[in-house]
Amino acid sequence: MKRLLITFLVALVAMSVSAQRKIDGQISDRSTGEALVGATVLLKGSNSGTTTNIDGIFSIAVPSESSVLVVSYTGFETQEVTVGSQMKINIQMVPSSTLVEEVVVIGYGKQIKSTLTGNIAKIGGENLKSMPVVSVEQAMQGQAAGVFVESVNGKLGSAMRVRVRGVGSINAGTEPLYVIDGIPIAKDARNTSGAPLNPLADLNFNDVESIEVLKDASAKAIYGARGSNGVVLITTKSGKSGRSRVELDVQSGISMATGKREFLNAAEFVDYFTEAANNSDDLEGVAYDDPNSWTQFLFGRFRRYSGRNDSWMEKVDRTDWQDEALRTGSITNANLSFSGGNEKMRYYASGNYGDNEGILVGNNFEKMGGRLNIDFDATDRLRVGVNLSLARTITKQVSDDNAFSTPMQLVAMAPITPTRDEDGVLYDRPVTTYYNGLIDVEDGQRNVISFRSIANVFGDYKFNEHFGLRVEGSANLYNVRDDAFFGERTDNGNDSRGYAYSAFAGATDYNTNAVFHWDQDFDKHALGLDLGTELFTSEYTRTFVEGEQFPSDEFKTLASAASITSGTSTITNYSFLSYFGRARYNFSRKYLVNLSARMDGSSRFGKDNRYAFFPAASAGWVLSEEDFLKDNDLFSFLKFRASWGISGNADIGNFQSLGLYGAGNYNGVSTLGPSQIANPQLTWEKSTEIDFGLDFGLFNNRLNGEIDYYVKNTTDLLLNVPVPSTSGFASQFQNIGELQNKGIEFTLNSNNLVGKFSWTTSLNLAANKNKVVSLAGGQTIIDDGSSRYTNVIRVGSPIGVFYGADYAGVDPDNGDAIWYVNQMDDNGNIINPDATTNDYNEANFVELGSPLPTLIGGLDNTFSFAGLTLNVRFQGQTGNSIHNAGGGFMSCNACWFDNQTRDQLDSWKNPGDVTNVPEARLGYSNGDQSRSSRYISDGAYLRLKNLTLAYDFPSKMLSKAKIRDLRLYVTGTNLLTFTKYDGWDPEVTTDFLASNVVYGVDFYAAPQPKNIVAGIRIGF
Amino acid sequence: MKSYKLWSLVLAVTFLAACDKKLDLEPAQSISESLALDNDVNVKSVLLGAYDALATDGLLGGNGVRDAELVGADGEIRWVGTFDGPRQIFNHQMIAENGEAQNMWEDAYNAINISNNVLEALEVVNADDRAVVEGEARWIRAMAYFQLVRFYGQAYQAGGNNSQLGVPLVLRATRKIDEASFVPRNTVEECYTQILDDITQAKTLLPEDNGIRAGKYAAAALAARVYLQMGRYAEARDNANEVIGSGAYSLLSNYADLWNQEDNTNEDIFAVQISSQDFAEATLVIYYSIPGFGGRDGDIEIEQKHLNLYSAGDDRLDLHYSGNGAMRTGKWRNQYNNQSVIRLAEMYLIRAESNARLSTSVGATPAADYNAIHTRAGLPAKNTVTLDDILLERRLELAHEGHRIHDIKRLKGTADGLNWDDNKLLFPIPAREIEVNAKLAQNAGY
Repeated sequence: MKRLLITFLVALVAMSVSAQRKIDGQISDRSTGEALVGATVLLKGSNSGTTTNIDGIFSIAVPSESSVLVVSYTGFETQEVTVGSQMKINIQMVPSSTLVEEVVVIGYGKQIKSTLTGNIAKIGGENLKSMPVVSVEQAMQGQAAGVFVESVNGKLGSAMRVRVRGVGSINAGTEPLYVIDGIPIAKDARNTSGAPLNPLADLNFNDVESIEVLKDASAKAIYGARGSNGVVLITTKSGKSGRSRVELDVQSGISMATGKREFLNAAEFVDYFTEAANNSDDLEGVAYDDPNSWTQFLFGRFRRYSGRNDSWMEKVDRTDWQDEALRTGSITNANLSFSGGNEKMRYYASGNYGDNEGILVGNNFEKMGGRLNIDFDATDRLRVGVNLSLARTITKQVSDDNAFSTPMQLVAMAPITPTRDEDGVLYDRPVTTYYNGLIDVEDGQRNVISFRSIANVFGDYKFNEHFGLRVEGSANLYNVRDDAFFGERTDNGNDSRGYAYSAFAGATDYNTNAVFHWDQDFDKHALGLDLGTELFTSEYTRTFVEGEQFPSDEFKTLASAASITSGTSTITNYSFLSYFGRARYNFSRKYLVNLSARMDGSSRFGKDNRYAFFPAASAGWVLSEEDFLKDNDLFSFLKFRASWGISGNADIGNFQSLGLYGAGNYNGVSTLGPSQIANPQLTWEKSTEIDFGLDFGLFNNRLNGEIDYYVKNTTDLLLNVPVPSTSGFASQFQNIGELQNKGIEFTLNSNNLVGKFSWTTSLNLAANKNKVVSLAGGQTIIDDGSSRYTNVIRVGSPIGVFYGADYAGVDPDNGDAIWYVNQMDDNGNIINPDATTNDYNEANFVELGSPLPTLIGGLDNTFSFAGLTLNVRFQGQTGNSIHNAGGGFMSCNACWFDNQTRDQLDSWKNPGDVTNVPEARLGYSNGDQSRSSRYISDGAYLRLKNLTLAYDFPSKMLSKAKIRDLRLYVTGTNLLTFTKYDGWDPEVTTDFLASNVVYGVDFYAAPQPKNIVAGIRIGF
Repeated sequence: MKSYKLWSLVLAVTFLAACDKKLDLEPAQSISESLALDNDVNVKSVLLGAYDALATDGLLGGNGVRDAELVGADGEIRWVGTFDGPRQIFNHQMIAENGEAQNMWEDAYNAINISNNVLEALEVVNADDRAVVEGEARWIRAMAYFQLVRFYGQAYQAGGNNSQLGVPLVLRATRKIDEASFVPRNTVEECYTQILDDITQAKTLLPEDNGIRAGKYAAAALAARVYLQMGRYAEARDNANEVIGSGAYSLLSNYADLWNQEDNTNEDIFAVQISSQDFAEATLVIYYSIPGFGGRDGDIEIEQKHLNLYSAGDDRLDLHYSGNGAMRTGKWRNQYNNQSVIRLAEMYLIRAESNARLSTSVGATPAADYNAIHTRAGLPAKNTVTLDDILLERRLELAHEGHRIHDIKRLKGTADGLNWDDNKLLFPIPAREIEVNAKLAQNAGY
């Protein structure tokens, strides 16, 4: 019997073989013509199938002409092809417009997007590529809902503010956690002097495969204690098996300021200041020709400012100081990459170089770097890999916005002042009103050189098809050298025959983790478990030496300094130790559940409160998988999501829980002094967040998007609580207070037109409401009492709300600046809203607007036709105000000698004049108090963030020349800006003050650059 | 496969067990509060830290001097710098948010808190040194309070009950922030009583010679200054006399040699120690001099009205120089040199004034003291000397040294047309303090 059976089977097989024929073919991407490697080809209704080789070629035996091949490939529409009589079948695959099988990177893993229960925004690498900007954050701007990105100001390489779902803390960090290929990257600036530079500026974003921003509690809870401000996962490109590819991208262009302010010209300057001095004399009852009069004092100044002569009387413009500060810069970027691999091994290698001459005199940024990502299959079970990157940046730094030497402060100089004397030497005080910052450009230098290497080694071991262990070890070595020299003509060096410093800072971060993964499907039940642990340690060291007395300006290093005035070295460190776990379950991809938890400990907190637990839970329901919607023509995809979770924030300085004494020096002897008051209870800041979301796809996913509503309550704030200074301390870190962010996010992607002429649109909008719920017991406001800056923390209002005197304009009778008294009763209601005063001290402070936008968004349109592609991306925000804190100098109706903005010409002149600019009174305070709504204006803006016109040569034309693809393009950034703000640029925060609380403040801040480049991208 | 699994688990567990210690990190640049105050050496370092705090920019380092001159400028000096804080002080248009007012307040209470910490840690100080350490801490505290009460409280009135508000008296070290940290203002009388208590004790505790630190005569000199401000001339005179009579100090023969010195001169009773290693907090040079000397743009100009007060040939007139288009004082023009705080000439002038007022001749006649100062400046001696002569001499001798507004208030004069007790001549309690501490009352007019 047995034998019979075998014979029968053999016969059957033989028969079938004889009936079969072999066909082969190639599978390629219809849009690019490129061969698809590893595509699956199945014989429908059977178990037989194959995959394409590295040339996209397959070969399969088919039983009959009516056989049907099912061809599938991730990211493409699955196709069915009837064999017919063909022996060779070439199949072109159409990229999938569905999001169903899209894979997104999550913390410590990847997941199919349709099964996600959390909110993750993904930005594909192609949306970052070739952008003529310095940093990855700038490239991200406006591309993800609820991810607010802002350059602090227009200086190259300056810090970036990224806020995921609003500002999440008052005194602890508010930047998201950045994780590059698995290693958390501290975003602490390491430059020694001046405003912080952006340490991520060294990242070559052309190497980025994708950026995933983890936004809701469910997505980010796996990063527990460091996830509260969102997590930005940056995944760099890895090679794919198949033919090797080479790509070269070179671009070059120019850079200009987005805007300028109008200042008085020489004639206006002389006339206006004379008027102001006369007015002050009138006020004091002094004759204009009295030697002690303001008028004569002014004329003396005019003589000085003219170069000690009377040329000011000619009222001729000698210098447009704004044009001295701003210039047309240039940009050059080049990027070269190689990638490829075989069945066992894959690689991606790249090198990049960029040189950006900034719009500010003396400001340059240069970067170069290289990357090598390799992974290979050591055995059937073990895959190992290495990601290595090296990056170096050289920033020629200009001084902070509050320094006289910063280029933008040149605008304060008088237009009657020539730039140089007869010998061509730059004028300085007393001819120039203030220190002439151009001397810094000529006779000084400040180079910040950063060098970073990140090495990440991983091993993935599969115990069986369901169960594996991934172990990663990473090191992030980041060194920054600051070298500065100021010659003897500079402000820093003129009292000491030159001044120089040299600083070296090094941060060494190590991160190791080990995660067990288990994934198994039981019929319709899919289960996944992750269990892991992580240790992160960071050490930071810094040495600094400064000296003076140089033989001449040719000697620029400290070796030539006759006097070393100080030297120091410091060291500080912190660590995190974590355990985490995650469980995923879905039933038929219809009902989804996700649980995660993390236990974190940090050296930053008191011993008793060192560990904290961060759980999260989420669920999803894919309605489109239900029978009643399964074949619905309208809804191709529909999913509800809900999540809840707690995440933490430990982003404060090291050792904040301890009562400390620091060393000082008096008369050459070391001293000790209290530097910090203890708080042994100090612990994590916690954010509890809920999120309800809806993912939808309509018309076969041609229209798809997401809507989310979230509420994030941050409690136990790591608050630097102000205490009475009579205690000897100004503040103490306490876990107290509560902050809330709630909002709605909306993302819509649409393939408006498909076919020869295609048009896609992508829109994202996010509304966020930020509110300080409570502070330390009894406190309703934290106000540092500044006379110039208005940002405060006030219960019931957004963090950083502007709070100051409410400017009521000008008294028409006498030209005095007036403010609303705004006297309040015990309930906080204003008693007499119309009452005004000319005494600033009598004006009660009120809220004058918020620097936080209430709505941010981006709109991206791409049109393609016959190889031409046009991309137009707008980005904007509304609901915020901007405080021009420099107004008290540049727009103060000639209170002092700073050149004034032209609008000051409208100042009050005669009784009855109705104007907003008070009478000009030289030397007097008449409305120049900076903490006033006089200097606050609407900060909403909409701008054309990116415009790219590209032409891709048809592949037929190129294939003869062995060129895979060739693209010529022109890209412009910040080409148009629509705003009511009359300063230089509405995307602004002065760099020397920028913090969680102080922002939206303009103080001689550099405008953003407008860049236009032309480029060529060629692939082999 | 089983061994792989086992190995991984064992590895993972051992790896983690070893890690917990990684969270125990100690700072490298600081030490804990308890360590700082638990032994002799450290407490003495903390005491020196109190000097450093006293020498910061908000106090003796500079602004305490500068602002006394700006408030009392009266057309003799002019603020022409761009900073609006000092400009408000100069224009008598101060607002409660004025940063200079906040700076002085914070710096003074920092110095006071450090002194309080030292005073509470005396038991760990070597018994032999305990008196000196206590004396110095009390002297520093008295100096800080004297500075505060004169700027933030209405002037002390001789013979009055002085119930006008002064500043909060905090006499205990802050180890934690609690209800007791929220203090109200004490009266001017209470403040002066405390200051005198500290100085009197310091005088008995301190040795005659204490190097560059406060010694017995620095305490006596400060006492003379405080009593003079209170109009208690007999005590002022006697303390000044004690300093002069000690012979520990002598008038330099050349007035110009007093200034911009690396080391204390024989005339200095107390000076802020500044060197190229430690000068950031010394700000007088920054505002009074010009870029070539490490100054800003020449923010304070000396006006003709002041220069007219001197007679020709007065060395003190000649110390002024022309720079950056205006006249400047030569007293503060080297950023790395000491700044004199109390010097012997002031004692002569206090003794002269007090003797003249009391019609006594303790130590010397008013004319003799006057002439000691007057002739040192290169001027001929006078036979008869009036009280007005002495007051003018004081004004010229101590010009630009931070006495002006305090003398105007003491002598019930005017500044820029404002009466000595005008609210505009007072600093506001910093707006920030009022926000934080509801128990603090603001000065009238703010």
